[in-house]
Amino acid sequence: MNSLSPELALSRISPELRPLLCSIVRNGRVGLDSSSCLRITDLKSGCTSLMPGPCCDRFKLHIPYAGETLKWDIIFNARDPELPPDFIFGEDADFLPEPSELPNLVSWDSGKPECLLLLVKEMLQQYHQYQCQRLRDSSRLLFEYDSLLEDPNYGRNMEIYAGRKNSWTGEFSARFLLKLPVDFSNIPIYLLKDTALDPGEDVALLSVSFEDAEATQVFPKLYLSPSIEHALGGSSALHIPAFPSGGCLIDYVPQVCQLLTNKVQYVIQGYHKRREYIAAFLSHFGMGVVEYDAVGFTKLTLLLMWKDFCFLVHVDLPLYFPRDQPTLTFQSIYHFTSSGQLYSQVQKSYPYSPRWDGNEMAKRAKTYFKSFIPQFQEGAFANGKL
Amino acid sequence: MAASISGYTFSSVCYHSANSNSDHEGFLLGEVRQEETLNISDSHIGSSEFLSVIEVHNHEPCAQLFSFYDYAGNINEENLDRILKDRRKNVIGWYRFRRNTQQQMSFREQVIHKQLTNILGIPDLVFLLFSFISTANSSTHALEYVLFRPNRNRYNQRISLSIPNLGNTSQQEYKVSSVPNTSKNYASVIKEHGTEFFDKDGVMKDIRAIFQVYSALQERVQAVCGEVDQSERVREKIQEEVNKLKEEIALRKRNSAEEERRIQEAAAETHPDSSTLPESSHSSLTGVVLSGPSAEPSLERPVNSSSPPIYSTALPPDSPSAILLPRPQAVGSPGHPSPSLGLGNGDGSSSDSLNRQATGQEDHEEDDDDDEDEDSSEYENLVSEQLQPTSLPDAVALGRPATLWPDGDAHSPPGS
Repeated sequence: MNSLSPELALSRISPELRPLLCSIVRNGRVGLDSSSCLRITDLKSGCTSLMPGPCCDRFKLHIPYAGETLKWDIIFNARDPELPPDFIFGEDADFLPEPSELPNLVSWDSGKPECLLLLVKEMLQQYHQYQCQRLRDSSRLLFEYDSLLEDPNYGRNMEIYAGRKNSWTGEFSARFLLKLPVDFSNIPIYLLKDTALDPGEDVALLSVSFEDAEATQVFPKLYLSPSIEHALGGSSALHIPAFPSGGCLIDYVPQVCQLLTNKVQYVIQGYHKRREYIAAFLSHFGMGVVEYDAVGFTKLTLLLMWKDFCFLVHVDLPLYFPRDQPTLTFQSIYHFTSSGQLYSQVQKSYPYSPRWDGNEMAKRAKTYFKSFIPQFQEGAFANGKL
Repeated sequence: MAASISGYTFSSVCYHSANSNSDHEGFLLGEVRQEETLNISDSHIGSSEFLSVIEVHNHEPCAQLFSFYDYAGNINEENLDRILKDRRKNVIGWYRFRRNTQQQMSFREQVIHKQLTNILGIPDLVFLLFSFISTANSSTHALEYVLFRPNRNRYNQRISLSIPNLGNTSQQEYKVSSVPNTSKNYASVIKEHGTEFFDKDGVMKDIRAIFQVYSALQERVQAVCGEVDQSERVREKIQEEVNKLKEEIALRKRNSAEEERRIQEAAAETHPDSSTLPESSHSSLTGVVLSGPSAEPSLERPVNSSSPPIYSTALPPDSPSAILLPRPQAVGSPGHPSPSLGLGNGDGSSSDSLNRQATGQEDHEEDDDDDEDEDSSEYENLVSEQLQPTSLPDAVALGRPATLWPDGDAHSPPGS
């Protein structure tokens, strides 16, 4: 079933119901995983086939929840658009929310465009409670849930999906989706704006799947919103430790949280350190600076002269600077290699220590340049051609 | 549990539903009955099965949605009563029609169903769901219907709904359903014109008339039985007399034969050479014959139906047909008038015609001392056996019975 593009869905739905659907389709973000929004498929009509024009009034709504997608049928009546809709909860035939706890249903106002979205959110809350009830089938998982609930960091941002008992093996499975309370606000903007997608809210979600009721098979997975993933250095950032056997979520989740926080700190620190480094070089080499990356502070190019020999030095600062050493690339401005490039030499190991501050690094770099340049010059003369 | 809905109710529901431009709902009226089936077989002692049968007789459509419940699904009893009026006790379920949706109870339907169960006090309230699926180009429409029993557990919820006589009635029997006719018009017309067909007890008049005819016939048959009984007794008595007389005749003949023999013996003693060989052989034969009275019938048996020719020496010969005894005629044979409804002439004598015929034939027969022979037309064997001893004087001739017949043909019974 292909999902309809929002515009297509809106064009086919009955005009009186269009505002309601609009808010679903345009602003519809429910739940923790707000990167994937609500989708609409199977738009059908409840009117006779003789009814002209757009008159669809019933559809299937795909709702991401705890790593699953719920498919709920929503049924309106185009002829009576002021009436509230009816729902079929797909495979969750046992789920029956209490109408009195759905204020947007009891006082349904079809004039309010966000009414449907609010109603869906309320139903999702009820659904969440229903799933938590199902956890009672396993005392172990119930314990996990309760312990997490007590912690205010995690308790309020949790989605549980208690899977259907496998009728053959009697297995019970559950999935916890937790939003990790990691602060991404200090990540430098430059790291985040590179993503092509609409970043939305920066969020890290930890999904832990329990394949059996005794928690012997546990599979954790970390989901980062694309910008964060990029900012932290790609998919390698998603390596988290395995779930310890016999461990429990209340210990594991903070661990993962800490790990992530550390990484973020690293990145933030790296940024500042690089900035410091560049600033120091600027002050040391002054006029020798050709250009530098003023946003991310990842590159620096210097033009230096030693005994009438001019050369360029490109400094590449890695993401995890100062832990990782900057790469120095010496380039002659006179000599070419056989491939037409300027003759250059890359130096990755030179006296360096991450504990030096920017000034110290600049000074040492200068010293190193002086010691290395004669060597380079010889090499340039020997291997390159003018 | 089984369910059935009459064809006209089903089509009426479909009509209302298909003509509505939105979802449609209403109530199902009918009755639930319990059927008990007792199975007796050789393998086990009878087991009884209980089956609940739901019959839908009628339906009450709701004019619009939300007519008896509010947005939260709470039922308003006043509105409910207004829709159902006085038929509330006939409600057995409710139905809903939705186009292009799944065959599953929806959220609101479940909420309403629970409340209806409580308010109407019907533990096994059923829910009939119609869903109407159309293809994209509206060329094919399918009406699907499922009957749910939501108050049972989850895995036992669907009941099959049968529509009697929806099928090929030339091969199946046309089933008459037990749906009562609730039409008031029908009831008033029947009441008005019913007296022509029904008597005061509600039984059809024709039935009474036929019953009377039947009773009359029974009485007559009983009377006839009595008469037959009597006539049989009379006949038996007469038969006894006949037998006695026959014995006397036989005795007389035996005596006369003995006398003759004595006379002959006496004559033979005086003239021994005049006796012919056959005669001596005759005498030896007779001697043989006489010594074994039991042999007499064996000798004479081939003569059975043709014994009268033995009298040919003493009696005037008659036509062969007269000699032969009449065969009993079956009822309905051409020799008899075909039996009408009034068997007999009303006097109970059914054998009249038989007797008449027999007498007719006996007219041809020679008159004997035993004029009672006529009555024993069926008892050919007996007659012939009685007549055997008289043929003794002609025993020599009887040695080769086939040659004795006047026409030379074998003893074939006279064809009728």
